[in-house]
Amino acid sequence: MAVYKRGYERYDGPLTSHTTRLLAMPRFAWARLMDQKLVVILLALSMLWPLLCGGFIYLANHLSLLQGFGGKDLGKMVEINGKFFLIFMNTQAVFSVLLAALTGPGLIAPDLANNALPLYFSRPLTRLDYIGARMAVLVALLSMITWIPGSVLFVMQSSMAGRTWFAANWHLGGAIVGGFLLRIALLSMVALTCSAWVKWRIVAGALVLGFFFILAGVSQMINAILRVEFGSLFNPSRAMYIIWSAMLGVEAPSGPTAWECVSVLAGLVVVLAMILERKLRPVEVIS
Amino acid sequence: MTKFRMRQAWTIARLEMHRAFLSKRAFWVYLLAILPAVIFIGHGIEMKVRESRYHGRGVTPAEVVDSFTKGENVEDVLKRAPKPVEDHEWSYRRPRDDEGDEGEGAKKPRVSERIEGRSLTYFDGQRRVNVNFENGVLIRQHSQNMKNFEEDRTVFAGVFQYFYLRLAIFFGCLGIFMNLFRGEMLDKTLHYWFLAPARREVLLLGKYLAGLVAATVIFTSGALLGFGAMLWPYSGAEMQAFWSGAGPAHMFWYAAAAALGCVGYGSVFLAAGLLLRNPIIPAAVLLVWESINGFLPDLLQKLSILHYLQSMCPVAAPIESDTPALLKLLLSPAAPTSRGFAVLGLLAVTMLVLWVASSAVRRIEINYGTE
Amino acid sequence: MTAPGAAPDVVFEDVSKFYGEVLGVNKVTLHIPAGITSLVGPNGSGKTTLMNLMTGLIHPDRGAIAVRGLSPRDPESLMRITGYATQFDSAPRWATGMDFVATGLALYGYNRAESRELAWKALEQVSLTDAADRKVAGYSKGMRQRVRLAQAIAHDPPVLVLDEPLNGLDPLVRAETIDLFRHYAAQGRHVILSSHVLQEVDVISDQVILIANGMIVAEGEIRNVRDEMVEHPSQFIIRCRDASRIASLLFNESHVTEIRMNDDRLGLLVMTRDREEFSRALTRVAVAGHVIDGVIPADENVDALYEYLIGGRS
Repeated sequence: MAVYKRGYERYDGPLTSHTTRLLAMPRFAWARLMDQKLVVILLALSMLWPLLCGGFIYLANHLSLLQGFGGKDLGKMVEINGKFFLIFMNTQAVFSVLLAALTGPGLIAPDLANNALPLYFSRPLTRLDYIGARMAVLVALLSMITWIPGSVLFVMQSSMAGRTWFAANWHLGGAIVGGFLLRIALLSMVALTCSAWVKWRIVAGALVLGFFFILAGVSQMINAILRVEFGSLFNPSRAMYIIWSAMLGVEAPSGPTAWECVSVLAGLVVVLAMILERKLRPVEVIS
Repeated sequence: MTKFRMRQAWTIARLEMHRAFLSKRAFWVYLLAILPAVIFIGHGIEMKVRESRYHGRGVTPAEVVDSFTKGENVEDVLKRAPKPVEDHEWSYRRPRDDEGDEGEGAKKPRVSERIEGRSLTYFDGQRRVNVNFENGVLIRQHSQNMKNFEEDRTVFAGVFQYFYLRLAIFFGCLGIFMNLFRGEMLDKTLHYWFLAPARREVLLLGKYLAGLVAATVIFTSGALLGFGAMLWPYSGAEMQAFWSGAGPAHMFWYAAAAALGCVGYGSVFLAAGLLLRNPIIPAAVLLVWESINGFLPDLLQKLSILHYLQSMCPVAAPIESDTPALLKLLLSPAAPTSRGFAVLGLLAVTMLVLWVASSAVRRIEINYGTE
Repeated sequence: MTAPGAAPDVVFEDVSKFYGEVLGVNKVTLHIPAGITSLVGPNGSGKTTLMNLMTGLIHPDRGAIAVRGLSPRDPESLMRITGYATQFDSAPRWATGMDFVATGLALYGYNRAESRELAWKALEQVSLTDAADRKVAGYSKGMRQRVRLAQAIAHDPPVLVLDEPLNGLDPLVRAETIDLFRHYAAQGRHVILSSHVLQEVDVISDQVILIANGMIVAEGEIRNVRDEMVEHPSQFIIRCRDASRIASLLFNESHVTEIRMNDDRLGLLVMTRDREEFSRALTRVAVAGHVIDGVIPADENVDALYEYLIGGRS
């Protein structure tokens, strides 16, 4: 009988690609999120407004159905234009904050609370990979209630209203997708940073809510007390609204310009990224 | 309750107060509390600086300022009032008014004209008057009191009710009171309290007292500081009249509303922290409920803490400036409840919530694994 | 029944506890007398659940518990006579060792000076005075274990409940701690502890309670437990030179259920259902001229009991 000398041999077979490996994290996180009843309920609720808007688009393009209700006069009222999509986006933005507050904190905070970061970073993953994988979950989730239904509505309106409408309003499609992607990027950064800042999922959720609600209050307070308008720059939701207005070609509310808002939000994202980078380190310091 | 139990409750409160006042986690609460005061101080400084600068540049008699009329030339205005405190000139291009004359369907060439704009600001000792010119012709003037006490009081009422009660005290109490039980569960330290020779109700009372003292001291001081900062730029007869009239009552009711806000929201968040594993969900629901309060029917409006707190406020808040016009139409604030009823109502709700919390704390079990 | 004059027992009467659909403990009836009692069982067997039940941190779904006549639902009275060192490895972030122990004492009604004096004594008993002014968050695992023990004993309770108190202690401190338990037990106190260090439990316990899957599988003194288990095979190691011959002789005995031969062929592990018959059979083997160097019972310690009773079920 032949006896072969055996020793440790490293596996040298084929490996999955970096991207495939990276997607393992969001896949598991996604499954965990979808197990939560509240997330599913909120997702379902977030779909109501797009459905209503879809119905509105249908009616707006079938005014004959409204003849009995003075359909012709309604024609002007139910015009599908930038303002219509701005209202749609603004409402979905509220749901996106609630969804981010509910789901975002569960993505990083538990890893920090359970000292699980060393486990991740002892594998072939960089911090950027980790953040990217976590962010992918939020981006996918928020996309479901923002630019995807927004695009569906735009396509629906384009197909019903015909080429003329599309030719005159094609930029709205880009504005819906681009505007929502900006919103998702901001929300994801806020949610992940809050999640990394405080180790507790519950507190991180409160922090996400507080971030948007309190900053909105602070901006209004600055505007009211100092009789200025630049306070709106401190309100990320308002700043985003101004940017969307500009993108959709709707008359912007008075106050800072869209470019000023873009600069402030970009600065905010940079600060959040720096905090995230600082907080996500696989060490624990006991003071 | 026996004297010993009262002493135990106070001992618990004392131990917890240390944490509530001094923990690093609580510093953001201080920030929320003093933010209005900081901005009002900034406003006061800006007013004072501007006033002294204007005095230095010259005062134009009120009758001269009031004599400006629309359509006047800038030269005529400057002849009568040669000392504006501010003078800005600019130019811009604007589409011409005759742009639409070419008829429907015709391709319109974009025609614009150059406009020379100028804005003169005059100061008559009390008012600041902006006079705007286009191509040298007066088109608009706007006067504003440099210090407008009534306006500032209304602004303070808005800030107090929309920011302080609805957001600062709400989130502050959320942080302070949820930390008392839910925070200890997350830290896995609650069992130390449960292993003390004290009834669970005594523990609840002690912790609630600690949160209440901390929140009340922080937010009542913050409210008074803000009120003081709002009054600070004013002096003389106006203030004398205010303090000998409604002033002390206003100060008292703002402080009382802040304190009762802590009592009400505190009890709700303490109970939520005991009853629910994720108290953020009811907190978010409550926040939305309190925010849409003004749009609800009268009866539903009265089912909110904010309604009773607003009823205690001495000055009605203006409608929020960035509320869309359509929503403003839907706003119909319920008639305020009498102050006595508001106070009693809030205390009764608090007692009820604390009773629910005390039965929850008796049943609560230590099971950190699920946190 | 409690003997007149003696301290009443810790009593569980038909106690069940479920965590949702997961069984904690099921129909537990126990009378734990004063002295050192060890709860032994694999992870998740229900030891901590029993301890949490008797200290009121969780409540039973069925049945009743009394600790020296007091209900765990009455912490005001119960915790005056009970000290519990839990397994939760946590302490307030702000606390030094001294603050941690003294703060707890404030709720017993001691003033600041008394609290600090008692806390110091407790820290002395667990050899932690050197680190008394350092923050607990910075302690090593063993130190955190000791400070929790200090907190449990600081008010000098007659009932001590200690969840794996010897975990993470170095040998010297472990020996001191065991001495402390013995000292308490000698004073007629209850010292109820759980442990995975079976050898130590074997040595220090007055009685053991073996628990598996939420049910009590045996209780009493180790030897008595063993003796009562007549239906379960006993194990003996026989050291001898003619192992295979002796094995074939013993196999003819009806009470022998299994024999395993040592690799060196100089020993056997024999399992028998009847100890007395086995001893007679050994005599017959010796009389037949086979040399037996020694016979050692292989199952009279807690490890063996553990193996017998719960090893296969965990």
